[in-house]
Amino acid sequence: MKKLAISLYAMIVAVLMIWGFYQAIYVAPDDAMQGYISRIIYYHVPSASLSFLFFAISLVGSIGYLAFRRGNPGRAQAFDAWALAGAEVGVVYCTVCLTTGPLWGRRAWGIWWTWDARLTTTLVLWLIYVSYLLLRRFAAGPQVQTLAAVLGIFGAIDVPIVYMSNRWWRTQHPAPVFGGGSDSGMAPAMKAVLGWNMLAWFAWGVLILILRYRVERKHQQNAEHEALAALEA
Amino acid sequence: MDQADILNHQFVTAAYVVTWVLQLGYVAYLGMKWRAEKRKSQAANRR
Repeated sequence: MKKLAISLYAMIVAVLMIWGFYQAIYVAPDDAMQGYISRIIYYHVPSASLSFLFFAISLVGSIGYLAFRRGNPGRAQAFDAWALAGAEVGVVYCTVCLTTGPLWGRRAWGIWWTWDARLTTTLVLWLIYVSYLLLRRFAAGPQVQTLAAVLGIFGAIDVPIVYMSNRWWRTQHPAPVFGGGSDSGMAPAMKAVLGWNMLAWFAWGVLILILRYRVERKHQQNAEHEALAALEA
Repeated sequence: MDQADILNHQFVTAAYVVTWVLQLGYVAYLGMKWRAEKRKSQAANRR
């Protein structure tokens, strides 16, 4: 039953992705200022926004792990798996954002990269969560999960800074398209296409988040069995 | 189509391809990890 539900959901995600792609390439109008290159927005913006969501899931997982690690170790392990899954999927989305951004910037601004506030804080966010994943991958010992949870909480502090960076400071990066004041906004035809792609990438992200969570839970079960077997030997 | 249009088209294609390579690459990594964990648990059950 679970397998069937996941397969059905994966099919819906595939349809959404194809629909989003079709809308982005064939339906959306060209931007009046930038022309065809602005179509990168339909992959760049959802990746950036959704990376925040997955880092938020990692934050909740990290807090949950720290809250339950003494009183309810079983629940703490589940929170820890969510924390890891959120961080990993967030890094994937953030990597997409950091690679599509320079491709767009090269054509729109004539440069691949600039050390402005939005770009730099996003790079710092990515580096913090890559450190988190490296810590989990290569460190050993009973304190790794606790250290990772603290780093996950620390890393999440950068998320609101990234979000507010182009409101607080003058940046090369454009001002916010949504909620950026009276001059902000988007043509309704473009907004609808962005909405479809946001939904498609959200659905895709949820799918891979659940897969990553299940892999981690399986890993935890195996580690527990190995530890028990070692004690019995 | 002038040179700028061709370049814009190539850059949009590159951005979309990079996105899909990263996302599908990650799914492939997850698939390998899942198989490895499954094999590990089967081996533990046999013991």
